Formats: sequence, structure tokens, C-alpha cells
Amino acid sequence: MAEEVTKSKRFGVNQLIPFAMTAIAVVFIWLGISVYGFWSATKGPLPGFFPVVVAVCMLFAGIFAYISSFKEKEPVWPRANWLVVLSVALIMGATFLIGLLPSIAVYVLVWLKGYEKCSWKTTLITFAFIMFIVIGCFVLWLGVPFPKGIIFERFFN
Amino acid sequence: MENFSLLLHGFAVLFTLQNIGATIIGAVLGLIIGAMPGIGSLAGVALLLPLTYKFNPTTAIIMLGALYYANMYGGAFSAILLNIPGDSPAVMTTIDGYPMATIRKRPGQALLTSNISSFIGGLIGMIILTFTGPALANVGLKFGPAEMTALLLVAMTSIGWLVGENPTKGLLLTMFGILLACMGMDTLSGSPRYDFGNIYLLGGISFTPFVIGLVGFAQVIKLMEERNVQTKAVTDKLTIRGSMITRHDFKRLLPPAFRSGLLGTFVGVLPGAGATTAAFVGYAAQKSFKSEEPLGSGAIEGIAACESANNGAAAGAFAPLLALGIPGSGTGAVLLGGLMMWGLNPGPLLFTNSPDFAWGLIASLFLANLITLAIAWSVIPFLIKILSVPTKLLIPCITVVCVVGSYSTSNSMYGVLVMFLSGILGYVMQKCRYASPPVLLAFVLAPLLESNMRKAFIISRGSLSLFIEKPISFFLIIVLFAILLFPLARSLLLKAGIVKQKENNP
Amino acid sequence: MRKVVSMISLALMLASAVPLLAEGKADKASTGFAPSKDIEWVVSSSPGGGSDIYTRMISDIMTREKLAGGQTFLVTNKTDGGGEVSRLMVSRVAAGKAADHTLLTFNSGDLMPMVKNTANRLENFTPLAMMAVDKQLLFIGEKAKYKTFADVIAAVKAGGNVVMAGSKGDDVATYEMLIKELGFTENQIAYITNDATSGAITSILGGHVDLVISKPAAADQYVAAGKLIPVLALSKTRFTGSLASAPRLSEVGAYKDVEYPVWRGVVGPKAMSPAAVKYWSDALKAVSETNNWKNDYIGKFKLLSEYMNNEAAAAFMANFQASYLKSIGK
Repeated sequence: MAEEVTKSKRFGVNQLIPFAMTAIAVVFIWLGISVYGFWSATKGPLPGFFPVVVAVCMLFAGIFAYISSFKEKEPVWPRANWLVVLSVALIMGATFLIGLLPSIAVYVLVWLKGYEKCSWKTTLITFAFIMFIVIGCFVLWLGVPFPKGIIFERFFN
Repeated sequence: MENFSLLLHGFAVLFTLQNIGATIIGAVLGLIIGAMPGIGSLAGVALLLPLTYKFNPTTAIIMLGALYYANMYGGAFSAILLNIPGDSPAVMTTIDGYPMATIRKRPGQALLTSNISSFIGGLIGMIILTFTGPALANVGLKFGPAEMTALLLVAMTSIGWLVGENPTKGLLLTMFGILLACMGMDTLSGSPRYDFGNIYLLGGISFTPFVIGLVGFAQVIKLMEERNVQTKAVTDKLTIRGSMITRHDFKRLLPPAFRSGLLGTFVGVLPGAGATTAAFVGYAAQKSFKSEEPLGSGAIEGIAACESANNGAAAGAFAPLLALGIPGSGTGAVLLGGLMMWGLNPGPLLFTNSPDFAWGLIASLFLANLITLAIAWSVIPFLIKILSVPTKLLIPCITVVCVVGSYSTSNSMYGVLVMFLSGILGYVMQKCRYASPPVLLAFVLAPLLESNMRKAFIISRGSLSLFIEKPISFFLIIVLFAILLFPLARSLLLKAGIVKQKENNP
Repeated sequence: MRKVVSMISLALMLASAVPLLAEGKADKASTGFAPSKDIEWVVSSSPGGGSDIYTRMISDIMTREKLAGGQTFLVTNKTDGGGEVSRLMVSRVAAGKAADHTLLTFNSGDLMPMVKNTANRLENFTPLAMMAVDKQLLFIGEKAKYKTFADVIAAVKAGGNVVMAGSKGDDVATYEMLIKELGFTENQIAYITNDATSGAITSILGGHVDLVISKPAAADQYVAAGKLIPVLALSKTRFTGSLASAPRLSEVGAYKDVEYPVWRGVVGPKAMSPAAVKYWSDALKAVSETNNWKNDYIGKFKLLSEYMNNEAAAAFMANFQASYLKSIGK
């Protein structure tokens, strides 16, 4: 994919962050004033005071950033990077079925062998190392209770 | 001087084989825990507390102290090598630590600088603690809501430097960090804020998964771009010798380390302010002093300033903990619980009722500091080896640690979700050239500022007079105005020709 | 494609071995109810805190006294949503083995935010026992402006402002009860909520507030050191030992005694079977009678041992919930 070097004129990713921040600021201001209260004569600042003041600053900064964001280059988004995101999303989903540790195990094996196309030796050594850290440190030593997933719950109960 | 002889007596208690062994074990465990992203000192101490049940009280307490201390060392490891802070105080260490390791290609030196600075900071803190313990704690007590508000405002003015080259973006992110921190239960009113009806958001956004995601997971996503680049061979630096710092480097790190050690100890004593605040203050202070290389580009001064401060704070936090029984942070609370479980009751009567225990503990912290330095130093070559692992293997490894670490913070997938979302956010931020430290620091400091400010107003019934009435607060407000008006005053004086225009490159 | 499938199935096979590491053994129950698998005990706050110590103490004693049928307790701290997520989760545990083997530590300080901020109510749980109660006192610092509580009342009536610091949860409710009884407004005696009592004590030791409300355990050593002086007992009877000098509210003036029930209990999911409920209720009773419990927990933390079985506890907690709901206008 050819890199976009021309300055973007439409709503692109560069505008995304300032826009989102401005929107968030508006929401916080509105909730802060209407629901949480701004100032009380006796207690001073109420729960809404601080967030509203901050959100107002953010609103102005956001608008300013939005305007100046059109001067910036569009960043490049390599496809490969999103694979990591997808992997973690899949891990989270798979956790419900088979639990966190098995999902991670599957991920490591599939990633190393299937995606990176490492040799079996590299794959298994890295796999063993990772599982050693996870199981040795988190499960055995620290005793963190990892989710077991629906399928295993049914199996073992 | 009486304290000094008591301290020597404490050393006598300490020097049994079992106790020294306990110090070593505590130090090693603390280093590991500290280095693991996701397990901060709170979780680490809490999870390891049961381990100490097997030993007798003195040994157990000594192990606990060593653990807590070594934690501060360990946080820098993953910060420097992987740009993933091991715990929140290490966030500041990433700023100079990671560039020094990767861009300047001096990972060993970076790690060693961090270790030595940690040692100096901790040592300064412990010395101050020994000789002024209760007095120091009492100074901390004088900082009530009004004083803390004023102090934090002064500290916030130095956040200006954090915004980097683009002030608008920096400001935007700082505000964003503050708003994120406002989500959740508002203690002062007892009601939730900005929870949008979601039961998970009642507890707000958990900080540790947020940090792991924003900085760590985002980093992994970005690493994908570099996986096919051949790892530059760092093999020649893989010995202890290869990671030695030059005499010049050492001279460079001393002043920041001393300054930050003092600052950090003081910050550690203050109620509510912990190692993260200390690291920030130390780093910000360094900005006003000369650094050979610009801060943020991998300068030794940068690493020294924050690492020394956070270890100083760990020591400083012991002052109110031991002398008054007041834990300054969540970690302190767990430590307090552990100490109480062993019959050691921190508080005003501690030094009178159980001097053996108390001074044994303090002596053990000195020893722990030394031992941790030695261990940390010796594992540097091993740690650097991590850098030579091919990136493509590192990626799944770090991803797994991020996921598992985030889960462990609250034993639920919510942590993983927070990490996931903040990782995506961090990645997008990086691509659009937004830096992440302002968000994290605002997230940590803002709640402290807000709660103190509101408490001050409750005490004064909504009037500003409290800030002027209390001497410390009054003094700090003057300092605040001085800082705020200084640039304006300076430009006015320049225009009036009273002050010469200096050739300066800040 | 086949390669990928075979890889994934190999991975799944390897991965299925993993959870076996953390699984307990299953036993067949004989007659009545006896625990037949690991018992999950949920604590809705972080490790090291009061509820955590309480839970581990009870589970340790039960294991030692063989009250758990040889099964292990898995104490899990789940702090999401300020603890609400774990409470909701426990209330919804399905009937059967799961419900019979799930316990939740539940205190007055848990119930209050739960009913205030969520739709969850006591009816979604099965109370098993009440184990301990606690009470509070008001203290002044060394260099306090007001030397007795009578002075405080007089000062407020003369138009002065008094500030009280305390923790969140129970202390707030006690404060509200107190000012109501005194007939003062929140503005006359202002309240500063801290995350934990230690924060409140810090502020009074530094002289930033006038009064601090605290349970005996947290204030004990400061009283012994002379840094805190008890001025009011928020209880229907006077305290003993170093706290005996504090008068009750009725002794200070023409008021009724103010006492807010602060309690610690254990509950199970709504769907827990009656046999299991009886079992746990009896087991907890046995725990409350051990010397271990009396000395190492109650005595150490200066609580008051008060065991109530499941029925009494249910009635008590329901009453508590009803009056709390009324007080916050729900």
C-alpha cells in the first residue's frame, strides 16, 4: 500500500483523537453540571467541579488540536500490527470457553508455528519458557485463580 | 547519636544466617515481582505475605522489608529493556531508560545507572529515617489538605515540561488523564461518578492494567513493525565488564541521584504521595538543572533522577509507617497488616516497646539495599540477553505477560479488557504522535490534588482563607505565584531593558 | 489447511492438560451435606485489608478444626467495581454444587454501598452467620481546641465550626446518626471522608481536624501513647480499659445514646441448599467458640464476638437493610 504523504483534508485518523477528546469533554461537562453538582456554599467544590473545570480546558485544547491536526501527515497503519490486537481479542473470547491459560497456550503455539513459521524446536522451547513463567510465577507461586472457561467447568464439576 | 547505637544493635540482631538468608530471598523475590509488569508492589507484597508465615516474626518482617525495597529496583528493568514499566513509579524511568538502551545502545549502562541511583536514593532515605525518623514523620503530619493542595499545584506547574514539543497535545492528554481518574467511586461524597451505569466502572479504571496497556501492549503492537529487522548484535556488551559505566558517567549520575534521593524521601513522608509522585517530582526537578544530554533522549541524569527518587520515597514511607503506624499507600497498608500480624505494632510506642524488632527491621533495610544492588548488578548480563532475543519471539512472550499480568491485578478479565482497550488507544496515540507520560502522571496525581482540595474547602466551609491562614500553605502559594508569574515578569523586565537577553537554549 | 487444523488440535490437547494443575479432587458426599469439592470464598476487597484478614482467619480455623470436610478453601479477592461485581456474581451462582460451595464475606460496610449504588439487595443472598460486631468512639488530638464533647456541643451552639474526620462506609452512617440526635446540620459539624481510618487519624494527628471517629482497634495504640483521647463512646454501654473515660452521649447531655451497628458476617448465594446453609452456619458457630478465634482475632482486633446463626443473622441483616434504605430515602 502506498504511503499517504499528502496532507489530509477530510476527516482522517489525525482528527480522530482531538474529535473524540472534544466529545468526551462535552459529555463530562454536561454530566458534571447537571448530575454531580458544581459548587456548594458550605462544602465548596462538589463532585462535578473538578471534572468540569478540567473538561472545559480539554474542550478548548481539543478544538485547537482538531484545527491544527489537518496540517499533519496521515500515519501509516501496517496491517501486521493489527494481528496482535486480533490475537488478544481472540484470547479474551476463547477464555470464556476454554479458560485463560489454555487460550494463551493455543495462541503462543499458533502464532509461533503458524504465523512466524518458526521451526518446531524454536516453537516448543519458547512455548515452554513462556508457560514456565506463567505457570511457575503466577499459578504456582502467586496462586492467581485463572478462569477455567465453560467447557472445563462442565467437565470437571 | 543514640539512634546510631540502636541501629548498630539492630545490625547485631540481623546478622544471623537465617535472617541474612531471608534478606536475600526477599530481595530476589522483590526484584522479580518488581520487574513483572502487572504486579506492582501492592500485589507483590500482598501475594507474598503468606510466604512469610512460615518463619519466625523477626525473620518474616526482615524478608518483607527486603521484598518491598527490592520491588523499587525491579520496576526499572522492564522499563529500560522493553519500554514497559514494571510498576507505576517506573513510568518515568522509561522516558530516558528505553532510549538509552536502544537508541544509544547502552543497555547495560542504563541498568547499572538505575541500580546505583536506586541504591543511593534508598541509602539517603534510610539514613534520614534512622536519624530523624519520628521527627520526619511529624513533619509529614503537618501537611494537611490545604498544604498538600498548594504543594501539588506547585508540582503541577512543572508538568509544563512534560507536554513536550506540542503543548496543545500535551495539555489535551493531561486533561484526559485527569478525567479518566475521575471515573468511579468518589470517596468524599460516597457516590459514584461517571460510571455510566456500568457495574465495573463503579470501581473506576484500574490503573495497573491501564498502564500495561497504554505503554506496554501498545509497544508490542508497534514492535510488529520491527520484527523482521535483524537484531543488532549486542553480544559484545554482554559481560559485567561491558556494562560498566565510565567514571564520567558516574560523576554525571551523582548530583541528580543525591538531589532526587532527598526529594524522594521527603515526598515519601507526605500523606498520600508515593513512589510515583516522587519519581515525577525528581525528574521534574532535574529539568531545572544541567544535563549533559537532553532529558528524554536517554540521558543518564534522567534515569538517575527518577530511580533515586522512587527508592528514596520507599524509605521515606517507612517514617510515618513505623513511627506513627500510618501507611502512606496501599502497599504500606499491607505491610502494616503484615507487621501487626507478627505482633509488631507500628506506631508511637513502637520504638519504646519493641526496639529490637524496629531497629532490626531498619538495619535489614540497609542490608537489603546493599544486597539488592549486588544481585541486580550481577544479573545485568542476563537481562541484556533479553535484548538479543529475536523480536518475533519476544512479541508473543510480552503479549502473554501483558494479558496474564493485567488479569492478576484484580483476578478478573476486566483488567485484560482495560489493558486491551488502552493498548489500542496507546498505539493510535503513538502513531498520531501523542506521548503517553502526561496521561499516566495526570491519572496518578489528579485524584490526590482533587481530594485534598475538596477536603480543604470542607474544613474552611467553602472559603479560600484556609490556604492563607496556614503558614506552610501560604508559603507554597507564594512559591506558586512566583513560578507562574516568573516568565511574565521576566519578559516585562526584558522589554524594559532591565535584564539582558541571555543566549539560552533551554 | 490440514497443518493448521492439526496444529490447533495438538495445541488444544496440550492446553487441556494445563487446568488439571489447579483442580481439586472430587469426593462423594455421604449423608446430609458435607463439602465435596474446593470451596470458593470470595472477598470483595483487596488482600491485607480487614475483610481479608477476617476471611483467612475463619478459613484457617475451619481447616485446622476439620470443619471443611477435608476440602480446601480458595480465598479469592475480587475487587472490580469496588466489590460490587463479585457480590453480584455470588448472588447469581447457580443452584447445586456450585452454590453450596461458594461463600462471601459480607459486612455492614459492604451492604451499604451495595444497596445505595446498585440494584442488588440482601434478598439475593442467604445469610449464614454473624460473627462479630464493632463499635466506634470519637477522639480528639493532643492539642485539641475542645477538651470534651460537651465543649464541642457548646462551641457549635455558639456558632463555631467543627470538623470531624472518619472513614467511608460505617463511619459516615454513624456520623449522620450522631448529628441527627444532636440536632445539628452537616454544616455545623462537617465530615471529611477518607478511604481508610488511617487517613483520618493522620489528619487529626496533624491538627487539621477537630475530631476523629474510629473503631477501637485502629485507635488503640495512639490512645496508649497519649496522642488520641477518647471523648465520646458511640455505644449504649461504656467501653473498658483505656477507653473507659469516654462518656456515652446520654451522659453528656439530654440525648439518647448513639450506637450504629457495625457487623461482620458470612453469606452464601441465594440458591444455596438448606442442608448446606445449616452446615455452614454450624461450622461458623464452632469457629466462633474456639480459643483461636477469641484470642487471635476478636481479642487482637478488639472486636466483640457475637455469633448469630443463619436465621438470626438473616433477620438482623434484613432489619439493618430496611432501616438503611429508609435513611437514604429509597
